[in-house]
Amino acid sequence: MASLTIENLKKSYGTVEVLKGIDLEIEDGGFLVLVGPSGCGKSTLLNTIAGLEEITSGDIKIGPESVAGLHPSQRDIAMVFQSYALYPNMTVAQNISFGMEIRKIDKAVREEAINKVADTLQIRELLHRKPSQLSGGQRQRVAMGRALVRDPQVFLFDEPLSNLDAKLRVDMRTEIKRLHKRMGTTIVYVTHDQIEALTLATKIAVLKDGYLQQFGTPDDVYNNPTNMFVAEFMGSPSMNLLTAQIIDEDGLKVQLSDTENAPILLPVEDTPAMRSYVGKQVIFGIRPEALTDPEGADRTAQNVVDAECLIEVVEPAGSDTFAVTKLGGKEVIARLRADAQVVPETYTTLSFNMGKAVFFDPDSQLRIR
Amino acid sequence: MSRISQDNAVAGSRMTRALIYTVLIFFVIYYLLPLYVMVANSFKPLDEIRGGDLMALPNVWTLEPWRDAWSNAQIGVEATGLKPYFMNSFMIVIPAVTLSTIVGALNGYVLTKWQFKGHGAVFAMLLLSCFIPFQIVLIPAAKVLGFLGISGTIQGLILIHFVYGIGFSTLFFRNYYAAFPTELIRAAQIDGASFMQIFMRILLPSSGPIIVVTVIWQFTNQWNDFLFGASFSGFDSTPMTVALNNLVNSSTGVKEYNVHFAGAIMAALPTLFVYIVSGRYFVRGLMAGAVKG
Repeated sequence: MASLTIENLKKSYGTVEVLKGIDLEIEDGGFLVLVGPSGCGKSTLLNTIAGLEEITSGDIKIGPESVAGLHPSQRDIAMVFQSYALYPNMTVAQNISFGMEIRKIDKAVREEAINKVADTLQIRELLHRKPSQLSGGQRQRVAMGRALVRDPQVFLFDEPLSNLDAKLRVDMRTEIKRLHKRMGTTIVYVTHDQIEALTLATKIAVLKDGYLQQFGTPDDVYNNPTNMFVAEFMGSPSMNLLTAQIIDEDGLKVQLSDTENAPILLPVEDTPAMRSYVGKQVIFGIRPEALTDPEGADRTAQNVVDAECLIEVVEPAGSDTFAVTKLGGKEVIARLRADAQVVPETYTTLSFNMGKAVFFDPDSQLRIR
Repeated sequence: MSRISQDNAVAGSRMTRALIYTVLIFFVIYYLLPLYVMVANSFKPLDEIRGGDLMALPNVWTLEPWRDAWSNAQIGVEATGLKPYFMNSFMIVIPAVTLSTIVGALNGYVLTKWQFKGHGAVFAMLLLSCFIPFQIVLIPAAKVLGFLGISGTIQGLILIHFVYGIGFSTLFFRNYYAAFPTELIRAAQIDGASFMQIFMRILLPSSGPIIVVTVIWQFTNQWNDFLFGASFSGFDSTPMTVALNNLVNSSTGVKEYNVHFAGAIMAALPTLFVYIVSGRYFVRGLMAGAVKG
C-alpha cells in the first residue's frame, strides 16, 4: 500500500498533446476515480501510471519513490483491463498465477495464493475452466483475481464494468467497493460513468481535453463544481444551466426572463463576487433535485423560494417524477416526488433551493464565488 | 394467387438447381479427367499405352512403372529414379518453410505489438518482396550464393526459399496479429513476461490457424518451385521438380509414358497430402486474417 503522486505530467504523441500538465495526489488507501468524456486522456493517464506508455515530462511517484521509466512489472501495480485481457489459452488458475510463474515462485506457494484469491472472489469452481467457457461476470472476477493475487501497492482499473449488463454492473460496483474497504489498497479507477465515479471514489479527478478540470471529493465535485463542464458532466439528469441577469432590487436577485412569461426573480446570497455582476449576464446553474415541488423541498435548506412555472412535459420514472419546464427560454428539468400532482400545460408551484444554486461567468465558464 | 406463384417458384428453383448441377458435374469431370488419365496409365504396361487408348482402364495392372519411377528411371546421366531428388526436395523445403514461418511470426509480432518508428515502411518493403518477379532476382541471387560459397548446394536453395518466403509469411502473421488484442500483451507485460515469453506463451498458442495457412502456402510454393531449382541446384541438390522435367524431357531411349505418369503423380503427392490434411484450416485461417486484418 502506498500513496500515489503525479506531478505536472505531460504526454504527447508526436505533435499531439494528450495530457497537458496533470497534478494529482491520492493518499495511501484512497480510491481515485478518473472520469471524463471519451478522448479526455483518462485512459492514457492510467497507462502512464502503469508504465505501459512513456511520459513526455513530469513525474509519477508510488510512495516516496519515482517510478517514471520503470518497467510495468517493477512498479508493484496490478491492472484490470476493460476487455479483462484473460490469456485465452490458459485455465483460470494459470491466468491468475502466470505472473508468479514468470517470477519463478514455488509451485506450492502459487497454489496457496490461487486458492486464497479464489475463495475471496468465490471462483473456486472455475479454476480449471478456460476463459471462453466463462460468462462476462465470471471473467470480470477472474481478471480481478489476477490483480488481487499480486498484492500490489496500487490497483489500476480501466473501465472494468463497461462490458457488463446494467444489473451485473451495479452488483460488481458494490463488490469492488467492499473489496476496497476490506483490503484498503490504493486504487486508481478509470470510468466515463459519473455515477460509478460518485459511488466509488474518495477523490474524483474530472478530465477534459488533457486538462484536469477539478480534483476533489465526490461531494465537492458534485456540489461545488469549479466550471460549467464539471457541473454539466457530473449528475444525471445533468445540471440545468440557464442564462440569467443579476439585478439589485431589495438585495441581490437573479432574474430569469423569457418572451412568453413574466420574469422570475430569485434572491441570491450577497457576496462581493456576485455584486460585481450586477447588471450583467451570468449562467445560473441548478440541479434537478434542487428544483422540486414545495412538499418535496429539503426542509433543512435555508433559502427555498417558490415560483410559478409552466410545466411542458411530465416523465414519471418510478421513484421520481421529472417535469420539464421552460425558464429563461431554455428547457429545465425538475425532479419531483413520485406522487407529486403535476399536469402538463399548466402552471405549478416549484421550489428553488437557492442554497444549492451555482453561478458561472458566461465567458470564462468558471464558477463565480 | 399466392399458391400459384409459390408453385412456380418451386418449379423454377428445381429447374435452376438441375441446371446448376449439370454445369457443376461437367466441370468436375473436366477437372478430374486428367487425373484419371494419369492414374490409369501409370498402372499400365507401356505396350497398352502404345495401343493408343489413353482413356481405357489397364487390362493388366502393374506396379512396375511406379517402381521404375521411384528407383530405376534414368534421370540425367544416372539411373537412380526420383528417390534421391524427392529427398532433396524435402531437405530444402522443410528447413525453408520452418525458418520463414518462424521469422514471419516474429516479424508480425514486432510489426503489430512492438511498433517502432518507421514500422509501416518496413512492412511496405517486406510486402513489396511478395511482388518481385523471380526472374529479376536470379542473377543477384546467384552472386550472393557464390559469395557465400553455397551455390549449387541444398543450403543455397534453403536460403533462397527462406528469404523469398519471409514476405508472405510476414504478411500473414502481421494481419493475424493486428487483430490480436493488445491488452493481452499489456497484461503480460505487467505480469513481468519478457519479449520472448509473451511471444511463446501468449501469442503462439493462439496462432494455430495462421501457422497452418503459412505452412501450406510456403510448402506448396517451395515444393512446386522450378525456376530456382533449375537455376541454383547442383548435381546432388536437384529438387524433385527439376528431376521430373529431366525424366520426362530426356531425348534418349524410349519414352516410357507410364513411368512419366507415375513420376508426375509422385511429385504432386506431398502437396496434395498437405491440402487434404489441413485444407479446412487453410480456408478458416485465410478468412480470419482477411476479415479482421
